[in-house]
Amino acid sequence: MRTVIGTLGALATFAALATTAAGCGGGQTQARLFSTEWEDDGGKSIEALRLRIKDTHPVAGADVAVGVAGNADKILGLPLGGGPRWTFAHPLDARPILATSVVVGSGGGELFALDAATGHKLWARPTGGLKLHAAGDDGSVTAITLSRAGNGPGSTLLAVTHDGGVVRQIETDKSLGAPAVLARLAFIPWGNQYVSVFDLSDGDEAARVLLREKTSRAWTVGGGLYFGEAAAVRFDDRIKDASHSQATRIALPPRELPGTPTLMTPGDAYAGPVASAPDKIRLYARPSSPDGPLGWDSDRFYATYFGLVFGFSSSKGALRWVHTHGSDVLGGAAAKGSLVLCDEQGKVTVIDAESGGTVSELDMGEPVKSCAVQADAFHAAGPGQSPGTLASQIQHALESKDLELATGQRLLLRELGTMEDEQVTKTLIEMASNPRTSPALLGDARTELASRRNGAEFMLDALSRHYDFLHGVLRPLPVGPIAQALAAMKQTQAAHLLADHLLDPMDTDDDVRQVAAALVTLGGSFEVIDLKRFFAMYRAAPAQPPPDAIADAVVSVGQVLLRQGGADGRAVVDQAIAYGMTNPLVKERLSALVQAADAEKVKK
Amino acid sequence: MHRRFAYGYVGAFMLVAGGALGQAKPPGAPPPSAPEARIARQSATPQIALSPALVQKLASTDPEQLRSGLDEVRLAGKGAARAVPAIVAQLERGLPYTVAQAALDTLGDIEVEAASPVIAWYVRHRDLEVRRAAAKALTHTKGAIAANALRVALSDEDPMVRGTAATGLGAMKAKEAVNDLFVALDHHVNEAAGSIGQLCNPTECDALAARIGKVPFDVMTSGLDPILFRPKAEVSDDAKVKLVGRIRELGTGEANKFLRDVQKRWPAAWSPRIKQSIDQGVLATAAAPGTATGAP
Repeated sequence: MRTVIGTLGALATFAALATTAAGCGGGQTQARLFSTEWEDDGGKSIEALRLRIKDTHPVAGADVAVGVAGNADKILGLPLGGGPRWTFAHPLDARPILATSVVVGSGGGELFALDAATGHKLWARPTGGLKLHAAGDDGSVTAITLSRAGNGPGSTLLAVTHDGGVVRQIETDKSLGAPAVLARLAFIPWGNQYVSVFDLSDGDEAARVLLREKTSRAWTVGGGLYFGEAAAVRFDDRIKDASHSQATRIALPPRELPGTPTLMTPGDAYAGPVASAPDKIRLYARPSSPDGPLGWDSDRFYATYFGLVFGFSSSKGALRWVHTHGSDVLGGAAAKGSLVLCDEQGKVTVIDAESGGTVSELDMGEPVKSCAVQADAFHAAGPGQSPGTLASQIQHALESKDLELATGQRLLLRELGTMEDEQVTKTLIEMASNPRTSPALLGDARTELASRRNGAEFMLDALSRHYDFLHGVLRPLPVGPIAQALAAMKQTQAAHLLADHLLDPMDTDDDVRQVAAALVTLGGSFEVIDLKRFFAMYRAAPAQPPPDAIADAVVSVGQVLLRQGGADGRAVVDQAIAYGMTNPLVKERLSALVQAADAEKVKK
Repeated sequence: MHRRFAYGYVGAFMLVAGGALGQAKPPGAPPPSAPEARIARQSATPQIALSPALVQKLASTDPEQLRSGLDEVRLAGKGAARAVPAIVAQLERGLPYTVAQAALDTLGDIEVEAASPVIAWYVRHRDLEVRRAAAKALTHTKGAIAANALRVALSDEDPMVRGTAATGLGAMKAKEAVNDLFVALDHHVNEAAGSIGQLCNPTECDALAARIGKVPFDVMTSGLDPILFRPKAEVSDDAKVKLVGRIRELGTGEANKFLRDVQKRWPAAWSPRIKQSIDQGVLATAAAPGTATGAP
């Protein structure tokens, strides 16, 4: 292990730090810092520290959205509270980081900090080629993690006051996570399980806590300090028990989500200035309170999937709303009572946590390559526009033909299928009939429709429709799934409508097979003449390799004729068996049916 | 929108007897059945009798035998009306697709309206070739049932079935189908233009003419040409002059070409007033770009 600490007030350039940190003035090595030989102190040190600063609360971060624009040579800032937009032109080689009251950026060989509210440059230093990873801030000091000099593993931590004074620097072969700063103490996650508290005043490791889950980030929000990555562990009076998994902790409920998004990226990862797919597939949630029982704010967590935004109940994992966005969402933050998102068009949208309705829309002024939002004390103004029922929101989301959304849409279809609302049946019929429905969704829509057990009226109404070129009905009705559902619901009044579909040449072979099978189940009253006509036209159809849907349908219709067609129906089937041109396989199966029917009669 | 027909059920046809094809009825041959005789009476063409061998073939359950019988019947064409009940009975019982197609072709050749009900079944068949054959046959067998079936076929998925239906409706003078034909034309069923031209009343003809400039001119001419050559009792001289004026107003080479073609074919004894408007139209469009004599 090798860790080097320096007080860097005298450091001429950051490049010198990058290359010869050990040789800097005032540098000292502390063997204890980031040592893996540390023994769990049972929470003593962290509890002592907590008591020491218990009256100090994290300052509220600036409520702002920032975006990378142009050719990654410009930062746009948009205060959420309505202040003036700002622009800062500077080459960028990493994603700018919003840290409480500052924006930290790097590029052109320079590391710099801006006032997050105004965009005014606070300070700049040469990077010496180190890559910016993460930053935390307490309103006066900013702790920044960068890559380590050279290509080896490890990190460089730099603490800089807002006036540009370098307070501390640490170079270590350990990979450091995203730090938080509170009361001039840097809380630094590392080794995926530790949070070391580094006293920026004396350069000592003031405390350490061992957490029993992956921890690569420390952050402040809503007046609380939290550690974690996939979950949040609160810095409170139970933090001392973290090594026994007894800290105050909250995680998101497990559930299926499109694209397997994560709540936070690893805190030691570098992010380039331009967003990529993982930025568009994200989870957002906000711890509810710095004190008392810990939950997720508004009982919500949120998932983005390109242009779709999902709001889930954080206690039950159930889908509560879906927002269909006009463009891909690149970043965001869960605010108190709302979700604030920024998208590739540079729009910032505030969505009501409860309903999913849009509360307000702001504009950064131009499209962005990436963006981030910090919404600490921000409160949305009002509940937003009514987004309609969840079923209608899902229907709207499913209308998009964007193939990129297909995975998210399939999840929504399954959600739709679980709803008892009869309108859902109508929606599924429309989806499965609509020529604009993405082929990727059609099969799922039909499957969900077949498993519906309500909304029979919508199905019966739909059965009166047929393919009609002149009147724009260009996709045949999903009559097969409808037949399955109606048969399961014992809707005998559907029989005559289904029988009519036997003679619609535009219905698919498989749908016709399902219609005929449903007629066997349903019985009911219908025109036997339709059945006889179908039977006549297709009993001599050329045999197809199994599954031969039309042969199956003919046999089913034969079964119905035997059962409900009286002597005439029996005669039709007998003739088909005797007739030379009948498909031999059909003939064989019909013979078996006749024998079974005769045997049944004898039994009676 | 789906329409159901009240198709006549033709199960009453029973094949009983016949004579030798192309020969006089042999002595001792059984008398024709009632449907056979009725159908034969309705036909304007002299009817041949069916030989027992042919009768047997037409009643056969062997596809090759039946096909051979159908081939023989097709040779007699309209003169084989007595074979219709037997073929209809086969289609009612059901046939392999290729044999059904041959049976439909044969019924189309015989051109007996009594075959239309069963052919109408097959215009809604799942096999495309069978549907095409049925639509084509209906254009020959004609009648109200055929017209209804072809109106439905205008909405078929297959462009050829739609086109055949549109053409057939014009050929069978199905005036009640003009509205459907307009819808079809607006959905790029170009064959509908010609049929509208054959069937339209003055208002409908105006509606067709109003599509000049919107529908490709070569499609429009297939409808405008029959309007111009329809008798005065159906389309007035005023309407024809107005139509020529509309074509002239296009001022294009293709308008000139069309008017010159009409000019050549215009019967000398027909309205001189229309002739004059055609002549003037030809002159007025002679210099249009794209004409044989006009500017490029």
